[in-house]
Amino acid sequence: MPKLKLPSPGALYVGIICALLYLPIALLIVFSFNDAASLTFPFKGFTLQWYQQLGQSSELLASLRNSLVIAFGSSVLATILGTMGAIAIVRFNLPGRGIFLAVSTMPLVIPYVILGVALLILLNQAGIPLSAPAAGFAHVIISIPYAILIISSRLVGFPDNLEEAAMDLGASYWEALLKVTIPIVSPALLASFLLCFTISFDEYSIASFLVGTDTTLPVYMFSQLRFPTRLPMIIAMAAIIMTVTMLAMLISEWLRRAGQHTSPTGGGIASRKAKA
Amino acid sequence: MKNSRRFLTLIGLPSIYLFLLFILPVGLMVIFSFREGTTGAARDSFTLDHYITFINSRPFQRLLWQSAGISFLVAVIANSLAYPLAYYLAFQAGSQKNTLMMLLIIPTWTSYLLRIFAWKLILGSTGLLNSVLLLLGVIETLSPILIYSRAAVMVTLIYVWIPFAMLPIFSSLERIDRYLLEAAADLGCTRLEAFLRITLPLSLPGVVAGFFFAFIPTLGEFVTPLLVGGAQGSMYGNLIQDQFMRALNWPMGSVMSLSMLLIVLVFMFLLTRLGPLSDLLGL
Amino acid sequence: MKTRKLWMSICSLLVLASMFLAACAPVATPTTAPAAPTEAPAAAAPTTAPAVSGSTQTGELVLLDWSGYELPEFWKQFATQYPNVKVNYSFLSESAEVYAKLQSGVNADLVHPCSNYWKIMVDEGLVQPIDPAMLSHWKDINPALAKQGEFNGKQYWIPWEWGFESILVRSDLIKTVPTSWNDLWNPEYKGHIALYDSGESGHVIAALALGLDPWATTPAQDEQIKQKLLELMPNVLTIWSSQTDLDQQLASGDVWVAANAWNASYIKLLGDGAKVEYIDPKEGRAGYLCGFAVPTKSKNYELAVAMIDAYLAPDAQAYLANEYGYGIVNNAASALVKPETMKLLALDDQNIISRTIFYKFISAAQRQAWTDVWSEVKTSK
Repeated sequence: MPKLKLPSPGALYVGIICALLYLPIALLIVFSFNDAASLTFPFKGFTLQWYQQLGQSSELLASLRNSLVIAFGSSVLATILGTMGAIAIVRFNLPGRGIFLAVSTMPLVIPYVILGVALLILLNQAGIPLSAPAAGFAHVIISIPYAILIISSRLVGFPDNLEEAAMDLGASYWEALLKVTIPIVSPALLASFLLCFTISFDEYSIASFLVGTDTTLPVYMFSQLRFPTRLPMIIAMAAIIMTVTMLAMLISEWLRRAGQHTSPTGGGIASRKAKA
Repeated sequence: MKNSRRFLTLIGLPSIYLFLLFILPVGLMVIFSFREGTTGAARDSFTLDHYITFINSRPFQRLLWQSAGISFLVAVIANSLAYPLAYYLAFQAGSQKNTLMMLLIIPTWTSYLLRIFAWKLILGSTGLLNSVLLLLGVIETLSPILIYSRAAVMVTLIYVWIPFAMLPIFSSLERIDRYLLEAAADLGCTRLEAFLRITLPLSLPGVVAGFFFAFIPTLGEFVTPLLVGGAQGSMYGNLIQDQFMRALNWPMGSVMSLSMLLIVLVFMFLLTRLGPLSDLLGL
Repeated sequence: MKTRKLWMSICSLLVLASMFLAACAPVATPTTAPAAPTEAPAAAAPTTAPAVSGSTQTGELVLLDWSGYELPEFWKQFATQYPNVKVNYSFLSESAEVYAKLQSGVNADLVHPCSNYWKIMVDEGLVQPIDPAMLSHWKDINPALAKQGEFNGKQYWIPWEWGFESILVRSDLIKTVPTSWNDLWNPEYKGHIALYDSGESGHVIAALALGLDPWATTPAQDEQIKQKLLELMPNVLTIWSSQTDLDQQLASGDVWVAANAWNASYIKLLGDGAKVEYIDPKEGRAGYLCGFAVPTKSKNYELAVAMIDAYLAPDAQAYLANEYGYGIVNNAASALVKPETMKLLALDDQNIISRTIFYKFISAAQRQAWTDVWSEVKTSK
């Protein structure tokens, strides 16, 4: 075990930002046990009733499930499309890439309400029923700019001839992409996936027009704001989501460390040494 | 040519996708913008009136520029705060890098709406911060001084965007060759010099991406101003929302959105064409 | 390689989450909720209820509704009548959304906007008339409210819930209790008023304060109203958009005077122990009304009407009043509503409907003009 020492300024800064990011969440968790429907100080007393209510609200749980499915599907698809687009615009100096970059980042700029209404009209004209997949495919559109910008900002600056080197060794172009380029950009792929997931998971305006009866969590919540008595239940659910995610992360971190400990030659350390 | 075939294969699918689900709806929006109204016969007649109204409307334009200014500030501050985070993650966090990244992203998985409500708990008149200030004797009575203002909107949005801005900066810092920095040190560069001359320029594409991740959504934002902005906090996004949902004036809402789109495009064009960013972004 | 591990942990996390959901969902299936028994004690139990109880009809009914109304307590009667019909909800957060969705061709069997959007949907042919004879509870519906859903001699809308929009004050924080809409301009409340985010509501408040009929203003009066609203802004702390939001602002003491709060807020805050008072201004209280209609494109007219009937049942209406603090339309439900709630909702007052200034239909031009004024007022500082 290393000796305890004062944190470096960098670590301190990360600590402060983390504390700021988690402060509101900690408050939400505390207030999920508050015996009052209003989210205001002072704390009135301890209760578990919101969690009981949550267990009985099948609509809310169904909407959480829809949101998870939509967010997962759309972020995977957006990351795949974004990778293809990013490689194309960074690696090839051919006409059309400027326009592609401009168009693919434009969804960032359109108010989602309007994109939602326009998509609603188009889908209805095309006879496509409103559903979770419809919202998922629409979420891909608003996620693509994030995917492309993140992935291309990592691709830029890598030597262009990486794929060529692999091809010299006998790989086809597509094999070279899969085996050389993709691993190099994998941290960006992860970042892109996480960001797209977040965006879709929390998106309200487009989803409210497109999901039909497959309600997502944000749609449910916005509609529910009309009834303040049901807010604590939603907070209770957020508290559960947070706790479960944090636990899962702690477990995976613990597993990673355990793995490193038992097999010091395992992937983690070896690759890091190679990089460093 | 092999090259162009590869290019087309790569760019084809995303292009078709964007065309169907983005270009077509935007086209529809352009058509909306020329319609006289949303309902009845007004839907079928075309006019330039909404553009003229927009150009003559002082509140719309003033708010558009104000909102652009606020978005710019929010994006700059969020990025400045995110940069050290990304830097630490990329260069100093070592094996904890990915765990830390997750740690910074996970808060965003709690609904944005709930996080704003939580901010109201912190900034409100009987909130956490006010109570601390009262205890310290900085203020004498509890009053909503910290909330219901443009500043509260900005603080909340900066908080929301920090993790978003961090990701692209991190991913561009990650790819910087460590040998480059070692070489710089060997050649007698101080750490600051190495940072300014190597790290910062090489991470600029990520910063630009991070800037847009914060700038653009802020411009169209309407929920945060509603919840913490108070009477003076309305932003351009609120007006678009009002035209669209309250006045049921889809043509006007479209005109206002298209104007916003135009501003951002001009801004992006300037940012990418002027200065060294064009090479970096590969344009 | 490290990223692969992280990917794996993310996937396992999602699997974990879905397992959690899978484990929870079946327990909470609402359709098995015990139905019928509570109807027995109701004095006005539907004697004319359709005799199709336990019908084997299958199918799907889609409601475009507010979340919170999907609870099985609201449609027990339907669940008993049509146990095999699947009821699905698509949730709203604005009345205008109903219009936007129907206009764009969305399929729904039942919609639930408020009365200021009723006429436009009738005029555009988006909803179809309903035969009230098919509703077993129709005879108990307050006729004055029912009348508001009638257009061109036909009943298009069946009112379901209503409430006041009036001044709600934190009586422990203010010195002078307002008695008129015009008192909102009292400098005592500087920086502590909350207004509802709607041009329509703003217009109504200012018109009432000026002693005008809000729905028949001349252009000159509109200008007067705009100036009046601009003068109100220094008093305004914030603009609210949802009851949840407003209740918190009042509970936390940020807001002292809510200019157009719903009585649901009043009842909720009283229940939380806050010191609040709901004002009956001398010009009268504004009132909103919402209700159901069947879209023209619906293929399930009969099921939809049966569903409306279920929502009108006394126990469902009483649940609405007791749980959410909303005014109800079925007189036969009064016996099931807690007496203090009846009093708080002013439902014990025979003349309450005629004393309330209900929102009226507005033309597209009015809607536009009022929204534009509102945009200017909101951005005036």
